[in-house]
Amino acid sequence: MNISIDYHAHNNELSEYNPQFKILLGILTLIICLISQKPFIPFLIAFIMSSIIIFKAHIPWRFYLKFIGAPLGFGALTLLFMAFFFGTQPLFATGIGGLTIYQDGLNLGLLVFSRMMGSFACLGFLTLTTPLNDIFSQLHKLKVPDIFIELALLMYRSIFIFIDESDRMYHSQQTRLGYNGLKNSYHSLGLLASNLFIKSWFKGEKVHLAMESRCYQGELRSMNKYSSLTLKHVLLLVFFEFSLILGLYLTSGLKLI
Amino acid sequence: MHIMEGFLSLEWSIFWYLLSVPVVIYGIFRIKKITQEFPESKPLLAVSGAFMFVLSALKLPSVTGSCSHPTGNGLGGILFGPAVASVLATLVLIFQALLLAHGGISTLGANIFSMGIIGPLFAWLIYRGSQNAGLSLAISVFLAAFFGNLMTYVTTALQLSLAFPLPSFGAALSNFMLIFAVTQIPLAIAEGLLTVVIIEKIIQIRPDIFERLNIFKIKSVEDPIIEASK
Repeated sequence: MNISIDYHAHNNELSEYNPQFKILLGILTLIICLISQKPFIPFLIAFIMSSIIIFKAHIPWRFYLKFIGAPLGFGALTLLFMAFFFGTQPLFATGIGGLTIYQDGLNLGLLVFSRMMGSFACLGFLTLTTPLNDIFSQLHKLKVPDIFIELALLMYRSIFIFIDESDRMYHSQQTRLGYNGLKNSYHSLGLLASNLFIKSWFKGEKVHLAMESRCYQGELRSMNKYSSLTLKHVLLLVFFEFSLILGLYLTSGLKLI
Repeated sequence: MHIMEGFLSLEWSIFWYLLSVPVVIYGIFRIKKITQEFPESKPLLAVSGAFMFVLSALKLPSVTGSCSHPTGNGLGGILFGPAVASVLATLVLIFQALLLAHGGISTLGANIFSMGIIGPLFAWLIYRGSQNAGLSLAISVFLAAFFGNLMTYVTTALQLSLAFPLPSFGAALSNFMLIFAVTQIPLAIAEGLLTVVIIEKIIQIRPDIFERLNIFKIKSVEDPIIEASK
C-alpha cells in the first residue's frame, strides 16, 4: 500500500501557494457543486478543477486519471442503478427482463453523477495540492481544539511508520507460509494486527519520552510561513464563485432529458 | 462503506454534521480531561488512531471470496469506549478522505455518524451487555464487532435512503438494505472473527497494555478484559 496522494501534495507546482486560498477555493466550489440542481455546472467544475490540477499543479495525468477513476466507475454504477430502479415515469422499456429506464431516475442519476465528479475534483484539488500540515495549521486558525490538531499531527507522522512496518510484517509472513487458505489468512492477519497494535503502543510510549526530553509542555508549536489572503486572492475567489453561481442561475431552466 | 464525496446534497451533509459534531466535541472534552491527568496518554491515543487507519487499509479476506477492509470500529469501541473512539474514528476518517480519497469532506459528517458514533456505540453496548449476560470473552467480542459493523451499514443504508427517497423512503431503504446485506453480513462476520483474534493475541502477548488502557474507561466499571489479563 502506498500513499501517493501525500507525495504529490508535497511535490507539485502549487504546494507552496497560499493554503488559505486553496482551501477556500476548494470548499466553496464544493458547496456550489452540492447546491446545484442541474448537472451542467458540476461537470464544468470538474473540468476546471481537473485542468488546474493537471496544467497548473502539474500532477502527472496518469496518476490523476487513476485518482478520478474511482468516482467515475462508482458514479456510472449509481447512474445505471438510479435510471433503472429509482423512478416513476418510464422513458422506454429495454425489453430485457422487463427492465425500464425511468426519466426521473435518469435525471437524478445524472445529477448525482455530475455532483460526484465535480466535488471529487474539488477534493482532489485540495488534497493533491495542499500538504496536510498546512491544512491542519489552517484548522488551528479556525479555533479547532488544540488537542484535536495535536493528535492529528502525531497520527499523521505515525501512519507512515506503521504502513512500512505492516508491509514488512506482511511480506515476512508470506515467506513463512502465512495467508495460505482462508483459515490461515485470518490467523495471519490477526497476528499482524495484534503485533502492530503492540508495537505501535510501545512507539507511542517512546514518542512521549522523546517529546518530554525535548521540553514538551503539552503543546506542539509549528511555524506558520504563509501570509493571509491578499486583495487579489479575495477578488479572484469572489469573481470565480459568483460566475459559477450565475451559471447555476442561467442553467436552472435548461432541461437535459 | 464510506459515502463518497458529492453523494449527499448540501442539506443532508449539514444535517449529519450537526448530529455528529456535538458527540465528537464531547469526546474531545473527555480526551482533554484524560490527557491532563495522564500526559503520556496523548501519544498513545495518536498511535492507536494511526493503528486504526492502517488496520482499515488492510485487506480482509471474506467468506464469499470478495475482499474488503475491516473498519476497526468494534475494536475502538471495546478498547476505548464510545466517546474517545468517536474522536479517533473522526481523525481516521479525515485522513482517509485527505490521504486516500475514501469518503469526502462534504460527507464527513454522515460518515462520522455511521462509522464513528453508531458503530463504536453499538459495539460497546453489546460488549457490555453480553459480558453482563455471562457470555465468554471471545463470544462477546465477536458479537460486539459483528453488530458494530452491521449497525454501521444499516445506518449508511438509512442515510442513503433518506437522501434519495425514491420512489418512497421504504422502497429505497429495502433496496439499499438488500444490496448491503449480500456483501456486508459476510464482512461483519469476518471483522468479528478478526477482532477476536486481535484481542486474544494482545492478552496472550502483552496483558499489561490492557491495564494501561483502563485510564480511558469509567473507573467504577470493572472490565473483564482486564480481569482476564491479570
